[in-house]
Amino acid sequence: MKKRILSVLVGAVMCLGLCGCGGGESGSNVNGSVDNSGANSASDGGNSAGGDNSAPDNNNGGETDWDYIVNKGKLVVGITYNVPMNYQDDSGELIGFETEFTKAVCEKLGVEPDFQVIEWTKKEFELNAKTIDLVWNGLTVTEERKENMLFSKSYLKNKQATVVKAENAEKYPTTAEMGSITIAVEGGSAGEDVIKNDEALKGCTKVSMEAQKDALLEVKTGQADACIIDFTMAKAATAEGTDFADLKVLENIQNTDEEYAIGARLGDTETIAKINAAIDELAAEGKLLEIAKKYNLDDALLIGA
Amino acid sequence: MSFWDVTRQLADGFGITLLIFGITLAASLPLGLIITFGSMSKIPPIKWITKVFVWIIRGTPLMLQIILIFYGPGLLNWDVKLPRLTAVLIAFVINYSCYFSEIYRGGIESISKGQYEAGQVLGMTKTQIFFKIVLFQVIKRIVPPMGNEIITLVKDTSLARVIAVAELVKAAENIISVKGIIWPLFYVGAFYLLFSALLTFLLNFAEKKMNYYSG
Repeated sequence: MKKRILSVLVGAVMCLGLCGCGGGESGSNVNGSVDNSGANSASDGGNSAGGDNSAPDNNNGGETDWDYIVNKGKLVVGITYNVPMNYQDDSGELIGFETEFTKAVCEKLGVEPDFQVIEWTKKEFELNAKTIDLVWNGLTVTEERKENMLFSKSYLKNKQATVVKAENAEKYPTTAEMGSITIAVEGGSAGEDVIKNDEALKGCTKVSMEAQKDALLEVKTGQADACIIDFTMAKAATAEGTDFADLKVLENIQNTDEEYAIGARLGDTETIAKINAAIDELAAEGKLLEIAKKYNLDDALLIGA
Repeated sequence: MSFWDVTRQLADGFGITLLIFGITLAASLPLGLIITFGSMSKIPPIKWITKVFVWIIRGTPLMLQIILIFYGPGLLNWDVKLPRLTAVLIAFVINYSCYFSEIYRGGIESISKGQYEAGQVLGMTKTQIFFKIVLFQVIKRIVPPMGNEIITLVKDTSLARVIAVAELVKAAENIISVKGIIWPLFYVGAFYLLFSALLTFLLNFAEKKMNYYSG
């Protein structure tokens, strides 16, 4: 008898579980396409997720996007560890240009920053699922990303660079010589766009990695001939004393104007307006230049320099 | 970065790995048995619903389940916000319960009918027969397959990093990102090896202890 009651209970629990799963089935489509976005481009996965959710954001009982953040008391900022933007010093404390910049802006806005490490290929997911409020981590503004995120004003110049083994540095004076080699990039990154947009690179074999550091590892181990990643990251990652010091950074890419900005959910206009105002204040005070100088980025600064 | 600095940072990640392992094991062992009762139920709807549930969980990648549980509620605009580690634990417990339940079922069905009949002759109830006669023989028989799953679980914990939970492998990847040194990624293998050596020892010990119930 006991066992029968137990099995009825089990049945009930299973039913609940199944309902949950049934509801989730449509969600798993979204998941599937995000896996693609890692391999191809961020737009597929991001689009469906963005389209579904950005609209209802403003309908939560008159609560605006900024109220949502203020009520929480915390501004959750999605980052990945990368030098010189957000990284840990020897004592394990988070430092970097973006770290200090975020803290300065949050101080102006009167909210507490909460740095959340994320997987970079899932940043659109994190925003739309509201597990983070902003992507603030050397995020390059691209047309594709504009469909999924709302950008703040740009504050830093960025460009893409090719990284190869030092002994091969002479082989690739321009991208024309790179037409038939294997090139690693981070999935959905600006480096991937370079391959897509440069006619000379049409014939190359592209490998999409989870992170820029994985692209460097491909080159270091000879699995790829070259990788295309952010210039600032490339410089810092191949510095003396790292395992990547035997790689060389080439400036052979015809860079269009690339800029870093902060990414928010599509509907979050109030939040972005407030952040833009705070950035202007920091620029006028010279504080932004001060932070940029500390991390050798003052040459790349777009405002307040 | 010195060997000790790296070891210390990896130890933090290993703590998370152990936490996922421990909680998953502690919760899945009993939950798996409940699912077994469901899939062996004499009431057809319960039996089939349970079987379909087990099929879905075993038939989809654990990585996808973690992503669905963590991002799903937010993407559907539900007002539920699961902490990252909680989402990982829910996914692991459900997944491993389903695998364990099938091992339990195999064990229970391997006990000969004669054992039940003997119990009935002695005037025992069904519940008494299960807990006093069948269960211990089942436990003895399922130790090797359970050992397989338990050791797989140790390494599966590395899937938690898909939603950026800083377990052991993620801790090593962070060192690559920040310091640009690669060897810590291979050093984590030593942590897994040592821990599975300990588990293998414990499982062998359990197996020996239960030689008593030779059946």
